[in-house]
Amino acid sequence: MNSSSPTTETDYIRSTHHEFLAASEKALRTPSLQIILGQLGDTLGQRNRDAWQQLPNSDLVRQRARQIKDDTLANLHEHLQTLEISVQARGGQVHWADDGHAASKIIVDLIKQRGYSRVVKSKSMTSEEIHLNPALEAAGITTVETDLGEYIIQLAGHRPSHIVGPALHLSAVEVAEILSQPAGRTLAAERETLAAFARQELRQKFAEAEVGISGANFAVAETGTIVLVSNEGNARLTTALPKMHIAVMGMEKVIPKLADLPYFLKVLARAATGQKLSVYTSFVTGARRAGETDGAEEFHLVILDNGRSQILGSPLRESLFCIRCGACLNACPIYRSVGGHAYGGVYAGPIGAVLTPLYDGLAANHHLPHASSLCGACQAACPVKIQIPEMLVKLREQMHDEPTLKNGMESFAYRMWAKTLKRPWLYRLSTWLATRTVGRWYRKSPWLKKLPGKLHGWTKKRDFPAPAAARFRDWWEKEGRHGS
Amino acid sequence: MAREAFLARVKQAAEIGRAYRVEHQQLAPDVGYVGVTGDACAKLAQEIDAVGGIATIVDSLGQAREILAGYLLEAEAKTALCWQHPLLMRLQLNELLAERNVTRVDYDSANSLTQPARRLEQLACEIGITSVDLAIAETGTLLMCHHPGQERLASLLPPVHVAIVEQSQIVPDLLDAFRILHERGVQNLPSNITLITGPSKTGDIELQLTTGVHGPGRWRVIIIR
Repeated sequence: MNSSSPTTETDYIRSTHHEFLAASEKALRTPSLQIILGQLGDTLGQRNRDAWQQLPNSDLVRQRARQIKDDTLANLHEHLQTLEISVQARGGQVHWADDGHAASKIIVDLIKQRGYSRVVKSKSMTSEEIHLNPALEAAGITTVETDLGEYIIQLAGHRPSHIVGPALHLSAVEVAEILSQPAGRTLAAERETLAAFARQELRQKFAEAEVGISGANFAVAETGTIVLVSNEGNARLTTALPKMHIAVMGMEKVIPKLADLPYFLKVLARAATGQKLSVYTSFVTGARRAGETDGAEEFHLVILDNGRSQILGSPLRESLFCIRCGACLNACPIYRSVGGHAYGGVYAGPIGAVLTPLYDGLAANHHLPHASSLCGACQAACPVKIQIPEMLVKLREQMHDEPTLKNGMESFAYRMWAKTLKRPWLYRLSTWLATRTVGRWYRKSPWLKKLPGKLHGWTKKRDFPAPAAARFRDWWEKEGRHGS
Repeated sequence: MAREAFLARVKQAAEIGRAYRVEHQQLAPDVGYVGVTGDACAKLAQEIDAVGGIATIVDSLGQAREILAGYLLEAEAKTALCWQHPLLMRLQLNELLAERNVTRVDYDSANSLTQPARRLEQLACEIGITSVDLAIAETGTLLMCHHPGQERLASLLPPVHVAIVEQSQIVPDLLDAFRILHERGVQNLPSNITLITGPSKTGDIELQLTTGVHGPGRWRVIIIR
């Protein structure tokens, strides 16, 4: 991940960065983004609630999905080995990648060895994580994203802003401007026109491509099946037309049995987009067989660690349950204020605030575990009930144990706070002082916009509650006792 | 060597991680089963309409032919990408296409061409005609197992996809469909299985629904009782 800090207003949309505060401030000042983020909760929220209501005992189905993930992780190495055997039995090849660099190298080598140079890709967060596109480009391999949102942001040079809707931050007018360039003419800012242009343009790319690269929503160990879920159908074209199919997946995507799959399918689309099922769910089991006229002739599966084994053996293991539905983003008041680019990494929103520090280092991403109100909306929305707030708190704890992240002023303030709380006379004195001074001055507003001196750091990004004009114990003496 | 080191690392981490397992309750085996009560054909049709398709319930093969003829007209079809399937045979699809001067493109015709020529022909088809392996009433989903003669591209490339479903192919719930796949033997899964629930859709531009971005924008299902 690059550490470049954003300099211009929109740089944070293009490059990965560690400037959560600066980027979120810019996002808050972008009216078009604010309008779209405002619609996110309204449109998806209601649809999601309706879809969940039509699944009786949805809570138990989510529990089962969670249980399968937990059981699988307990013996992950065994399931990965079973997956390897199954894939090989169907003529496919499995490749093991310790990190993103290794994964990219495996993929580039596979393509170059065969003299191929044209790749179509269906949407995959894992390939974003390993920065696959720049690696392919550097090797002289032409790569076209085929998911409409991904295609748009690839042309614009943006990073995805949402796990499910990567181009969510753009208006139809902006999309029209972006697509008008390859079109060589001015396209109307109408969704149908834009989608029709993309269809026609991408058909051509599909017809020419030698290699299709996909992610994997799930991989079934028992059968060696890669499961791909999409609404557009580009994942189907990616796996049906080119000569070679390479799927790249994080190792936690494996599930033991085909029979485990329906529980995930029943919750994934509901959580993501409020559908009962996504339009297309494809089970790809190996390469094309004798007599078949479509499907890739060669199948490769790249299994990625990239820090996941570190997480697997830690208290934050549960973050590996994530099935990348994006529900926690849609539910999160912070995401809905600042959008996905502010988070700086590949994964945005509450789960991104957990994953990015884990994959990319806590010190560099120390703002992210604090970019949460811990309101619990993310956990309530999660189809596998990941306890995201609890994990954010754990990350905050870890930060306290890391000396490089300690803030001297903050530690001093907390020490003083602790001393005050332990001495009743001191506590009484300080509350008396606070109400007599600041409390009386700030009667009009319950919020302080700016704290003095170093404490200003707190109020730079949020307001501080002003002390009340009277202490509770004084009020109680005077009024409270007569109440009952 | 990378493989051994990788798996050894995962094994060690998985063992340490067991200390952080989450608590579980016993769950009934049928958790998540929705199914349908009453008329499965009607429920299937209702759900297909709800996801943006058009479903028509008919009582005979003859009626199905009439509806299909209408769709050929609507699509202004000159060529049709077709499955070879017993149900389509009984429907006398060949005769219907010949009557309407529609060229049939299927497994047999494709096999006489080189790969690039075959692709061009398939890409040019105006309509795709298939049956299904199973249809799931609860969600309005068509399940297709792909074999020679029952290609993936028929339900994917043309702008219109028409599927002919018989009542006997309908199951109530996704869990029933998986049970049937199991009975057929999980070791014998075809190279590709597709679940289709609606026309090709995207919400990528301003969260608004747009159809037909990659797959068929028009999705028609004829259900024979």
